[in-house]
Amino acid sequence: MPSPNREAVLVSTQWVAENLHDTDHVRLVESNEDLLLYSTGHIENAVKLDWVNDLQDRVVRDYVDKARFETLCRERGISNDTVVVFYGDKSNWWACYAFWVFKLFGHEHCLIMDGGRQKWVAEGRALTKDVPAYEATSYEAQEQDDAIRVYRDEVLARVNAGRPLVDVRSPQEFKGELSHMPGYPQEGAMRAGHIPGAVNVPWSKAANEDGTFKSEADLRAIYEGEQGLSASDDVVAYCRIGERSSHTWFVLTYLLGFENVKNYDGSWTEWGNLVGVPIEQGA
Amino acid sequence: MTPQETAELFQSVDPETRLELLLDYADRLPPLDPDYAPLRDAGLNMVHECQSPVFLMAETDAGTLRLHVDVPREAPTARGFTSVLVDLFDGKPVEVLASAPEDLVHELGLTQLLGMQRKRGLAGIYYRVRSALS
Repeated sequence: MPSPNREAVLVSTQWVAENLHDTDHVRLVESNEDLLLYSTGHIENAVKLDWVNDLQDRVVRDYVDKARFETLCRERGISNDTVVVFYGDKSNWWACYAFWVFKLFGHEHCLIMDGGRQKWVAEGRALTKDVPAYEATSYEAQEQDDAIRVYRDEVLARVNAGRPLVDVRSPQEFKGELSHMPGYPQEGAMRAGHIPGAVNVPWSKAANEDGTFKSEADLRAIYEGEQGLSASDDVVAYCRIGERSSHTWFVLTYLLGFENVKNYDGSWTEWGNLVGVPIEQGA
Repeated sequence: MTPQETAELFQSVDPETRLELLLDYADRLPPLDPDYAPLRDAGLNMVHECQSPVFLMAETDAGTLRLHVDVPREAPTARGFTSVLVDLFDGKPVEVLASAPEDLVHELGLTQLLGMQRKRGLAGIYYRVRSALS
């Protein structure tokens, strides 16, 4: 079994406090669900990365291309050898999402600040509204790494082959119960339910109340003990748009040492709209 | 300001300034009437379409709309938009709400800035206010 290496991917708030002035080597990146949260105050020297405006293409439903990824890194003073430390709101959902995109384009040194913004604030640590400016770099990205991303055709093939899928949404979404009330906006999918054969492990099971990740023993009990997954399985994780599942992708890959985990970023907003694909409802 | 005037104000400025406007609104959201805090703490009247814990009750009293809202400071986008709604509709005749644009989020020029997912969250808040009309 490959050994997970928690220390290689997670840093504490204390580590960040001690290293935030080392801007020649370390770049703090705040990535939130909320568009405005960074502007209300952020960790000193941290740059903002918005999952919509920075990471997604505005016309095609896809991530930015290699050239635009390079530009966003260059503008933020990120070099190929920079240690990028991600943190954000919502138990680091969006930090994991940004981490995943950086891995997609081959960035080597990526870390997550365990506990995210919530823990930093809870500990009474300082925030600032000063937006840092860094000298532009000549960042060169890799071509996209398809080893961590999966598309719908491959998902369908996996369904037919009975290979593991982890649905990380809430049980209500998984079962296909209508979660919206009449007259309220739809959830963005024509059908409710889950991809056949998927097990339901809500992403939040991997997080503690304070936003930190659970211990390796606790995580093994959930994914291996309860769900019967093993580190040699190749696993696909999905949710609604691929953000909560990037949290689970991170957990399985880095905290449990699973060798072959992919994020299906099309997720339910793609699958639940596709014509003719199989869907299951109920627990 | 009327909904139309507010929409014109938001649309007349560049995207960066539009976000600053929304932040100003977030700062100005009045505190929740303490009488309604127990409802909020019991998890009632939360807007589930929104990813943030938004408490919102819309009531009418003799043709006047009353909004009781609370949005955490950790969710400034939802807080700012909710504050716009309070500014526009709280204490005003329900006719103001009835004649307001159905797609107010878009009219404020926020669609492109927010992306579809976040826009749905704010639209959910607005639908909740509009439910007071039915």
